[in-house]
Amino acid sequence: MGVIGKRVAYYPGCSLEGAARAYDVSTRITAKELGLELDYLEDYNCCGAMESKNVTFMGTMLLNARNMSLARKQGHSVIVAPCNGCSFSLQRAEYFLETDRAVFERVNALLREGGVDPLDQIPQTYHILEWFYHEAGPQKVKEKTKKPLKGLKVANYYGCLYTRPHFYARTYAHAGGQEEGVRPRRRDTADDDEHPYYMNALLEAAGATSVEFEPMHTQCCGGPHSLSDEMVSEKFVMMILQTAKRNGADIIATECPLCHASLEMYRHRLMMKGVPDVDVPAAYFTQLLGLAFGYSASDVKLKDNLSDPIPVLKRLGLA
Amino acid sequence: MAIHERSLVEPERILRKERLVVDGVDISGDWNLIILPRVINDYDLDFAKEIVNSPDGKTINQCYQCSYCTASCPVHNYWDERYNPRHFIYLARLGMIDELQKRADVMWRCVSCHKCTHRCPKGVLVEEVLKVILRTMAKKGLIDEYPSKKFDKFFTESVVEYGRIEDGELLFGWIEKQGYKVFKDPILKKPIPFIGETPEWLKQLTMKPLKSMNIDFLILNAKHMLFHPRTKNWSKFKQVLRKVMQEEGALH
Repeated sequence: MGVIGKRVAYYPGCSLEGAARAYDVSTRITAKELGLELDYLEDYNCCGAMESKNVTFMGTMLLNARNMSLARKQGHSVIVAPCNGCSFSLQRAEYFLETDRAVFERVNALLREGGVDPLDQIPQTYHILEWFYHEAGPQKVKEKTKKPLKGLKVANYYGCLYTRPHFYARTYAHAGGQEEGVRPRRRDTADDDEHPYYMNALLEAAGATSVEFEPMHTQCCGGPHSLSDEMVSEKFVMMILQTAKRNGADIIATECPLCHASLEMYRHRLMMKGVPDVDVPAAYFTQLLGLAFGYSASDVKLKDNLSDPIPVLKRLGLA
Repeated sequence: MAIHERSLVEPERILRKERLVVDGVDISGDWNLIILPRVINDYDLDFAKEIVNSPDGKTINQCYQCSYCTASCPVHNYWDERYNPRHFIYLARLGMIDELQKRADVMWRCVSCHKCTHRCPKGVLVEEVLKVILRTMAKKGLIDEYPSKKFDKFFTESVVEYGRIEDGELLFGWIEKQGYKVFKDPILKKPIPFIGETPEWLKQLTMKPLKSMNIDFLILNAKHMLFHPRTKNWSKFKQVLRKVMQEEGALH
């Protein structure tokens, strides 16, 4: 433990400044409690998420390289992002900048042209869950827990891009077909690629019980097509929610504001249509950790969750 | 899993007759099915070359058609069997544009879950390659506007203009593009969520923070909708972004 660094650049992403404010607030609370320091990345820009990369390759590289350059300017070689989409975009840029010399040089020239410092070194990006697990770990969470989440059955939902694809997230060592020099290596701190367990471990240390949730724990929620392809997204979210409910979950713990928004939005629509077994509320895993550390429901902004997890938590005496 | 190459045989090429006599020999029964040969001479090898030349599509030639991507794909398994990443890569490499065009209604449905890329034993960036195929087809005008492309462009425009996105603008802007009449205030031309002809589920969802008296959440989001969050010192960088997109032909 302690390989990533206790003080890192924090790239919250656009969502966390607005609709997913609860995730930002509870992340800061959790980091403070665990003795870790987040250095807010000043004046960052959007990472382009899953959308911009389909429109322009170099433009998306530039968007992410600018954020990397800002992190270097603040003296960091590690960026931490709480959003699956943001960490994916930054790691994708990292992959192409590292493996493709031509892309790296072009990006640096264009950064200079845009009035941004070129990259002297490519910072590494980690998902915030990976960082919490390796810099604090379940032991520390156990020590800090004042109000254990006793009796709370959690379905841990990781989403797609936390562990996938292994080229970017570095969760898997094998990459056949690629040349030796550009073959990405598995990162020592990476979660298991098909059976991630970091969130389970942290929440179990805080007293919660994880329910069986495979394979839906990494099933897609519709992601970038949440708005543009409603039929498919609705079906995927229905599968996720029903699996959670039928396996006895009280709540779904999420770690991505986009997955969270998609789950809440389609949960509401499915309930309006009268689909059975879809009424499991969702909460960010940092909100649950915040509750366990003794903070109140309003401290972790539980009211912001449109799926309203407060009644469930009240019933168990946790909020 | 269906064998998709079967779909390359057009129905009018399959001849099945009750009684079939060839050179005076009656071959009805087991031998009464004849498939006329199909000669393809309008293939376009430049198409595959263009994909290989782009930095995110150059792994396409490593594909050895094992179909691990298709077996993993949630769109193939849970939505439409016609969505088949392996088959799309096969067709793109052969340059069979007309066959790709026939599948245009499902080709855009990729949800970017990256199971295909993750599991590919040959190191093909499958998801990226499929997006490059779509992008190249759109650039050459071989495919109509599809919903996800409209959304991607709408999203990217917002990023390039302001440096950051705003959830409310994205949601209501998209709803408006779907043909709903969003009510806007007369001065700033910003959407007002609670009234107007928005879908019922959206109205109910936006009412939730109001009902639970989550005032500071409402104020924060209203502020963002009125004054779009921006990145400082953005204008110079924006010009570079626009220039790069112009070069890639991404602005059309």
